[in-house]
Amino acid sequence: MELERDETIERAVQALAVMPPRDAQAVSRVMAAVRANGVSRAPRPSRLALVLEWVRQPSLSVASAGALAAAALVLGFFSRGAFGKAGAETGTRSALEGQPTGEYPVPAGAIIPASNSNEVRAVPVPLVFEARNAKTVVVVGDFNGWDESKTPMVRYGTDGPWTATVLAKPGRHVYAFLVDGTTLVADPRAPRAKDLDYGGDASVLMVTPP
Amino acid sequence: VTEIDPSVPSRARRGDEQAFLEIVEFYYPRCLRFARNMMGNEQDAEEAVQDAFVRVHDSFPRFREDARFDPWLFRILANRCRTLLSRAKRHRSLIEYGEVPLAVASAAAPIEVDDDFGADWAEEVRIVLDTLPPEQKEAFLLRHVEDLSYEDIAAITGAGLSALRMRVKRACDTLRIRLAEVEQRNGT
Repeated sequence: MELERDETIERAVQALAVMPPRDAQAVSRVMAAVRANGVSRAPRPSRLALVLEWVRQPSLSVASAGALAAAALVLGFFSRGAFGKAGAETGTRSALEGQPTGEYPVPAGAIIPASNSNEVRAVPVPLVFEARNAKTVVVVGDFNGWDESKTPMVRYGTDGPWTATVLAKPGRHVYAFLVDGTTLVADPRAPRAKDLDYGGDASVLMVTPP
Repeated sequence: VTEIDPSVPSRARRGDEQAFLEIVEFYYPRCLRFARNMMGNEQDAEEAVQDAFVRVHDSFPRFREDARFDPWLFRILANRCRTLLSRAKRHRSLIEYGEVPLAVASAAAPIEVDDDFGADWAEEVRIVLDTLPPEQKEAFLLRHVEDLSYEDIAAITGAGLSALRMRVKRACDTLRIRLAEVEQRNGT
């Protein structure tokens, strides 16, 4: 025993050293937060990838894709090639010269989807639900279009709580847990929703901007 | 067993999620105990622990495999507790049942405990503990409750060994005097 640790300190230490019990739900919440954090930190797709994805859309015909590609080529030619030297000579700089390296430059104003710059980004929200006897649990809510196939929950251990992470934009959302494909159950941890249009119990999720 | 098998953090560092789960299961109670003692309330403590594990997960690529995991984990946790404590000190204005906010806990003021609440010894100790300056409380808890060496505490807090010994001594001196007052008042 150290000199400073007399009987009073010893009793104080004993009171403070009581170990909290193991808590599967808390562990599950931590793991959900860790996974959610991984989702939020996933690398954003490059502009080129967005362009390619857009071009690959089934609604886009081969002819129009070709025309867009040609337009992009022409714009690229004008912005970087033909008048590049003239721009340098007059002291102007192409907006593209400031692009970080590692990405292909994309002609300004060509075919970048309008979403990325000002779009409100969805926030990952971990959800935990206790349903010992359930065989399946699914999160349904306005953030996933109440689609039963989109957000299945994963069970922690053999009889632990169910967890899932949903992506929801900042604002008010309504959601519920669908147990065994039949029973809609509100989240006991969240406020109850009153204006439900899905036909059963549901809860309110308030998401704040990240 | 207070330290996890070193192979588990190594596996977690390489991205093994099962290994990370083992770490959380192993350390959660101990981390919560430290955070609860530091923060003085359950909700903030749980937030600090959760944040700490998220940061551990994020920072694993920077963790040296030859280093011990415990001091590294507690350094991250102690940092989170300090950050949340300073935030709570700035923003907390409501006194919840059974809690004494740090903002109104003066180091010189005698401790007033309403006997009607029937506070037991553990609650008395926590109330007195909350009157300590945060750096003294932190050093005391790491040394005497978490049973870490002064070398480990130095790695966790970034403070020098002699400064830490002084903090622990002052914490013990203050606790001894104030707990003696409590015992005297309660007739124990």
